[in-house]
Amino acid sequence: MKVLKLQKRNLNSYLESLRVFGEIYGPVRKDEKYIYGQLDDLDKLDLRMLRTILPVKKFLVPPKFNTFSFEGYTYKPELEKIPRRVIFGVHPCEIHGLLILDKFFLERFPDPYYQERRKNTAILGLSCVPDEKCFAKSTGTHFVESGFDLAFNELQDFYLVWVGSSLGDDLVRLRLDLFEEDIKERDLHEYMKWRSWRDSQYKLKLDMTGMPDIMELNYNSPIWKKFGDKDLSCGACSMVCPTCPCYNVRDQLKPVGNSGERQRHWDSCMFKPFAVVAGGHNFRENRAERVKLWYTHKLKAFITEFGKPACVGCGRCIDTCPVDINIKTVVTALKGV
Amino acid sequence: MATNVYLPEPMRIVRRFNLISDVRFFQVRPLAMDRALSLDYLPGQFMIVSLPGIGEAPFSISSTPSRPGLIEFGIRNVGVLTEQLFKLKENEIIGVRGPYGNGFPISKFEKKDLIIVVGGLGAVPLRSLLLYTLDNRDRFGKIYFLYGARRPNEMLFLNEFLELKGRDDLNCLLSVDKDDTGKWTENVGVVTTLFKHLKGINPNNTYATVCGPPVMYKFVIDELLKLGIPKHQILMTLERRMHCGVGKCGHCVIGSIYTCMDGPVFSHWDVLHMKDLI
Amino acid sequence: MPEKPKAGFYNLSGCSGCLLTILNCEDQILDIFNGANIVSFLMANSANIEKDLDIAFIDGSVTTDEQEEFVKELRARTKKIVCLGVCSCYGGVQAMEYEKNTWSARFKKVYGTKPPTITKPFESRPVDAFVPVDYYLPGCPIDANQFLYNYARLLRGLPVDIPKTPVCLECKWRENECLLLKNIMCLGPVTATGCNARCPSVNLPCVGCFGPADEGNLTSEFNLLKEKGFSFPEIERKLRMFGGVKFVNKFKTMWKKVKK
Repeated sequence: MKVLKLQKRNLNSYLESLRVFGEIYGPVRKDEKYIYGQLDDLDKLDLRMLRTILPVKKFLVPPKFNTFSFEGYTYKPELEKIPRRVIFGVHPCEIHGLLILDKFFLERFPDPYYQERRKNTAILGLSCVPDEKCFAKSTGTHFVESGFDLAFNELQDFYLVWVGSSLGDDLVRLRLDLFEEDIKERDLHEYMKWRSWRDSQYKLKLDMTGMPDIMELNYNSPIWKKFGDKDLSCGACSMVCPTCPCYNVRDQLKPVGNSGERQRHWDSCMFKPFAVVAGGHNFRENRAERVKLWYTHKLKAFITEFGKPACVGCGRCIDTCPVDINIKTVVTALKGV
Repeated sequence: MATNVYLPEPMRIVRRFNLISDVRFFQVRPLAMDRALSLDYLPGQFMIVSLPGIGEAPFSISSTPSRPGLIEFGIRNVGVLTEQLFKLKENEIIGVRGPYGNGFPISKFEKKDLIIVVGGLGAVPLRSLLLYTLDNRDRFGKIYFLYGARRPNEMLFLNEFLELKGRDDLNCLLSVDKDDTGKWTENVGVVTTLFKHLKGINPNNTYATVCGPPVMYKFVIDELLKLGIPKHQILMTLERRMHCGVGKCGHCVIGSIYTCMDGPVFSHWDVLHMKDLI
Repeated sequence: MPEKPKAGFYNLSGCSGCLLTILNCEDQILDIFNGANIVSFLMANSANIEKDLDIAFIDGSVTTDEQEEFVKELRARTKKIVCLGVCSCYGGVQAMEYEKNTWSARFKKVYGTKPPTITKPFESRPVDAFVPVDYYLPGCPIDANQFLYNYARLLRGLPVDIPKTPVCLECKWRENECLLLKNIMCLGPVTATGCNARCPSVNLPCVGCFGPADEGNLTSEFNLLKEKGFSFPEIERKLRMFGGVKFVNKFKTMWKKVKK
């Protein structure tokens, strides 16, 4: 993998040059939080961001979109309107989230909507320093080797920039004059020093090894009812989780004629109707069962299917749940400590 | 780009009639003959029927791939989509996607005896398997078909199955919980009362397939286990809510699996092992 | 082409904001009027005909004898009745004191001891307190997109389809910071969505105008608000404001438990 250097003072000039590829998005402030917002003006870019409200999944699987419009049985898939975008400032845990979504949407039965958006979205990663809700070191998602086009690692005066894809290489070549190709030994030392300092910043540790076994042991545990009673069924955890992909489908008709759109929008297994079949039977009637399913899927099912948990340690659920049902409280309760 | 798996294929309704009061038989075919003849699937698989503007839902295939050209469904009128579906007439168009799901592991059934146990609407997917095995009769050992319905007028494909009783290469056993017609000549009692007719079963050489209402599984599986059939040779097809059929929408998730891709056919061992399946 | 369904739009006690929301759908207004044979819509048309209907949309709550008679008469000649907005669905803000036995005193305070003579008034109640209602499109006012989606369905004989999930769903889609986490009394988690999280998106807490979400966990919401220092009367008042009759009826037993 090619590694380059970009002086910090050149960042904005470089980002500006990416507009030839597409719209530029990056962390911007929204009240007391951050979101990935459009950067028509690069001054809005706020790199103090630690976590955005919604993860980068919102660009690849938007909360609500039309899959196709129809007129009778003639369909027009809405793939052409997908814009080209550059997302700057994506943290390593988020890129790991994307790798999970990639497996999910691109392997068996590739999803054309995800495929097209992924192709049209340049992911520019950025290193981060954790807060008390981050535990990406525990999940092994605090560094990335793939899943991005460029990955920026912030050091004192410059960024080390890893080129992760052919598209990333094209993007670098847009302003090759801004980059230095010569990585010196003292740069390596600075990077190594930064690594160990950053490692020491992870205050929250959540050991997730052996979670499938622990989940099995807790199958009939009273903790599920305890969490279920508290659960607001607001679904916010699913919305903010970088790896929650579930969706619902509905058809929007026009009042006249036989045309309309088939829409897809985010859903959550925390909602009661999620597992209701025609005729009314609900396979997960109780909140406790639904909370259990959510965590079973994150901490057990994904490990069985993809070899790692579907938790990337981003801390969004910890930051979002109003009643403290999150990966930290649940894992802690599951372990009985 | 690869084909868009979410776009339903228009198919023409060739025949439709009521199997019982609220279950209708739909025979459909793709518009183009070559597509109709090349559309392959396995017994136990399902397709998603799609009405633009109304929505989509999964339905088990009731026809057999050994008779290509026409796809058959048996659909109960229980929801908004099926209500609209029931309004459609012959020669009208519906959207269909699929086939999806794992289907029955037919190759494992070769040379083995087969016990097919059906309750109520479970006849829809298992008719596919039954017809397939009969069309390829020499590839399988003894075949037992046990079908229980609540009343004679709630038995799907009744005449078809009564006709099959005449075959000497099939043991077709029908039962109703209650005969309210006075004309029923077959067994009366729940489907498990038919098990007494299963004589000389060699359990290790036998596969059993079960489909029916949730309450039925426990009792039928107990009987099959009593016969000594290994847990992984008892197969059942399950139902879940689905929007996509391709492992994306998440509605059919049970623990670690997606019913639409990893199922809908599961073994009794899967059920014990994975929990929450039934 | 089958005949267009006959539809009527009516207003009882309320601000008529829901009907206005429909007329404000400028891009779709032609489709709205072309999709059905709209025989009565006082806000849009002065020459209305009262006859048998396929669909009647009612905005506003029932607060007088005359209105009670009207909804009964309308029911008798209408196949599907759809309540529009929180007033016709749940009684509206005017029903927030429902079953507290304070109506007579409040009425006297406003109108004096000499009651109006045209028709006999009573405490506001939703349409379904008098006649069976087929469908509800709640909100104060209704959401235009939710109306258009369901209007198109109703015209084809399909049932109304509204989400049972709470406001938080759409609130998160719009990337709002959770107001509960900022210690603001937000009813989002116990309120049905469909409004596109219109209030939290401008930093105002949800007041519950789409009515209780079917699966809302009121006990947990209540405990959470209590932890945040809100008193029982404060919480109850907030919940009653728009939830009105539906709130009182839906949570009758549970509420007593919480109260203790």
